[in-house]
Amino acid sequence: MPGLEHSRFASLHDVELCSLAATGERSAFGELVRRHGSAVRGVLRRMGAQGAEADDTAQDAFLTAFERIAEFRGEGTFAGWVKKIAARLYLRRLQRERRLGAMTAEVAEEEAPRRGDADAVIDLEEALQAIAPAERLCVTMCFGAGLSHSEAAEALNLPLGTVKSHVKRGLEKLRTRLAPDDGAALEGRRGNG
Amino acid sequence: MVDLEFERRLERLFAEAPELPDAGAFAQRVERRLDTGWTARRWLIGAAGVVGGVIGASQLMLSNVFQRVETAGDSARLLSTSINHLSAGTDWMAAVSSAGVVVWVAGAMAVVMMGFVLTRVLGEI
Repeated sequence: MPGLEHSRFASLHDVELCSLAATGERSAFGELVRRHGSAVRGVLRRMGAQGAEADDTAQDAFLTAFERIAEFRGEGTFAGWVKKIAARLYLRRLQRERRLGAMTAEVAEEEAPRRGDADAVIDLEEALQAIAPAERLCVTMCFGAGLSHSEAAEALNLPLGTVKSHVKRGLEKLRTRLAPDDGAALEGRRGNG
Repeated sequence: MVDLEFERRLERLFAEAPELPDAGAFAQRVERRLDTGWTARRWLIGAAGVVGGVIGASQLMLSNVFQRVETAGDSARLLSTSINHLSAGTDWMAAVSSAGVVVWVAGAMAVVMMGFVLTRVLGEI
């Protein structure tokens, strides 16, 4: 009875669910997937993965997490841990399909930022779409998946300085697009539906 | 310059992932894949056990183990007779001497074990 199991696990904390999953309790792990699946898929989409590709990679990430659940010590959040796994899996996929080089090399000159333009101040998704793929990857890996600059550099097989530059440029562009009242604008948008 | 405040704001924005409409279906797909992997693994372990058992049994047959056990039984009987002569009061070696019984008991235990494994495998199906 999946419904009953779902309600049985719904009240448990992530760490407790992880402990149960470590004993082979797959339903407990299913509850973790239900809780954090969207967040993991969201990070992958923000990194540039398309719908089905993001879903496949997220599934693989959760399966890997289940295999390695004993390694999760609860030092960070479970979602953060899976996001890191997912980000690395996605990069590996890009490398396998020989797309990573093109993505990281491609530093297209952006159109001039439209600071103060009401249409530009929309949400993070759209702001990320507007920056170069390499910058989007680096910013999302560091701020979305929680990787450090050096971890991102290692995963991307890029020099640390290059990653830092991508992050810095990406942040500046995002700031211009989201600022000055991105928080308020986003709140307003959420409040409006 | 990108300031710390903006970085915090960005972290918050990244953390606020919207719940996707097919979150339940996604979780079910992952659970299905977990179950499939689990079942496949159990089958693999079961199959490896059966193959190992068959190889072990065939090795036992080929190495004339029953004949050796019989010889060992005879030796044990002889030994027990000698010991009985030495200490007529104790008859504990009589149990050991019945090596044939031991083989039968071991066989029965193997059959029970095989039944247990089969039950688990059928349960998995």
